[in-house]
Amino acid sequence: MPYLVSFHLGWLIGSLLLGFCMGWISVVQRGNGTSKVTARWLAVLAAALVAASFAHVVPGRFGYWLDLGLVMFACYLVGCTIGAWLRDRVVSRSQPAA
Amino acid sequence: MQKLFRWASKWWPGLIPLAVMWGFAAWNNTLPVEADLSARSSAALKDTVLDKTRIAVDGRDVSLAADAFSEEGRRDAVVTVELVPGVRLVDDRTRLVPEAKPFVWNAERDVVRVTLSGSAPLPSMKTRLTEAARKEVGGVEVADQMGLARGAPPRFEAAAMLLLDQIGKLKDGKITITDTQVNLSGMARDLGGREAIAAALKNLPEGFSIAANEVKAPPYIFQAYKDPVAATVTLTGYVPDNNVHAAIATSASRKFFTEKVVDNLKASIGAPASFNTAVVAALGALSRLSTGTLVVSDREVKLSGDALYEGAANDIRAGLGKDFPKNWQYKSEITVKPAAGPVDGTVCQQLFSELLTKGKIRFAAKRADIDPDSAGILDHLIETALRCPTTDIEVAGHTDADGEDSFNQALSEKRAQAVIDYLVKAGLPASRFTAVGYGATQPVAGNDTDDGKAQNRRIEFLVR
Repeated sequence: MPYLVSFHLGWLIGSLLLGFCMGWISVVQRGNGTSKVTARWLAVLAAALVAASFAHVVPGRFGYWLDLGLVMFACYLVGCTIGAWLRDRVVSRSQPAA
Repeated sequence: MQKLFRWASKWWPGLIPLAVMWGFAAWNNTLPVEADLSARSSAALKDTVLDKTRIAVDGRDVSLAADAFSEEGRRDAVVTVELVPGVRLVDDRTRLVPEAKPFVWNAERDVVRVTLSGSAPLPSMKTRLTEAARKEVGGVEVADQMGLARGAPPRFEAAAMLLLDQIGKLKDGKITITDTQVNLSGMARDLGGREAIAAALKNLPEGFSIAANEVKAPPYIFQAYKDPVAATVTLTGYVPDNNVHAAIATSASRKFFTEKVVDNLKASIGAPASFNTAVVAALGALSRLSTGTLVVSDREVKLSGDALYEGAANDIRAGLGKDFPKNWQYKSEITVKPAAGPVDGTVCQQLFSELLTKGKIRFAAKRADIDPDSAGILDHLIETALRCPTTDIEVAGHTDADGEDSFNQALSEKRAQAVIDYLVKAGLPASRFTAVGYGATQPVAGNDTDDGKAQNRRIEFLVR
């Protein structure tokens, strides 16, 4: 893991920023997001991929790409969370009365 | 928390650019990651002892193929690669190098190179052995054809190093270690080399033994060349020690009365038994030739050249073998020198005087037995006598002044007669010769010094 992070630091920061932007937008975006069912399926898919990665069942380059994808995805989620949380604080401060 | 889920449900659009980034990242980084991991794995294995190491990286998975020299070494190598940061999986394709049974190692020397073959237990030892061979034979090509195998006996390296030290002492040959048995064959480079090798083999490490040591000594060669033009006798080759050297040099200077003895002999061990006797006898035969070569090689004596007259040739052909020890071989190629033209009595007298000035007919002390060392000068005297067949010759004997006059008188007569007998035996008619004894009555030098006495003891030839 430390090797993957240090080797792909630029791409991970990119993912983090992308996530930050997405999180920033998501707070004020109108409309419905994914349905609960879809979200659950997506979570199961993500968990399965994480499990596959830890179990080393995917061989060779595909295994490496899977690990890389998951690390980037994790950074994206972290970025989203931070972005959304910050935006939420900004929004709640500017509209204290509401 | 609910808020978070609400926000998270709207995060999915970002996955599309994320996927694109992922694609680019994978596209850009796969080869660099593989190259980096390959380099790191190789670096990590640098200190491990492996042969035929091949590292292939697929993504972050390393396939390690190598020949290890022990089970432990094999395991260590795999663990080392597994611990390289970034490596995900190691595909273990290592194996143990095959075990050699029996474990054979060879060092072979021929004219142009030293070839090391068979098995060595470790790559580093293989290098060390090759280096040691190079150092030992300095300048000669060393070909390394050794393979690697397990199963070397304990202390193999020490034994192989000791044997490599011996390869320099061989002219050609082969040294083999089969498990703990050592075989040697070939020819030593120098005299004494065989003995030096045998001595060194006593230091073989514990557990090793000599199965066969068939190293031969080079032939022990002694050569003498008589050159009548330069008036020299050149002695080359070996003698066993300084005493024999001195004895041979003295004997040669007595036998070769007209030639200068050029002594290029070297002392060396390894001489066959009775070397001294055989060489002295052979030099006696050479002294009777006008030109000739003597080669003594181990126990074989070869004499070739020109005798002064037919009788001498026959005598040398027949007689020399008798003087040698039993197990010696004698080969002669004796021809007869073309007879010199006849001359008259005056020239004959001059030739006799010249010969007897250069050399002397020697006798045993106080007796009339001719010393065998005088065969050379007698042959020359006979050859000269044959050139003036019509002349009569007085053979005069003289002694020094030691002892009673009557004894000296009788001794001088007997010695003169002994010389005539020798000449007659060689084929000259007895009627041409008269023996006269003068005792000590006609000295040519003072009888008060040893040198003077030696000059007075003499035989003279007078043409009548």
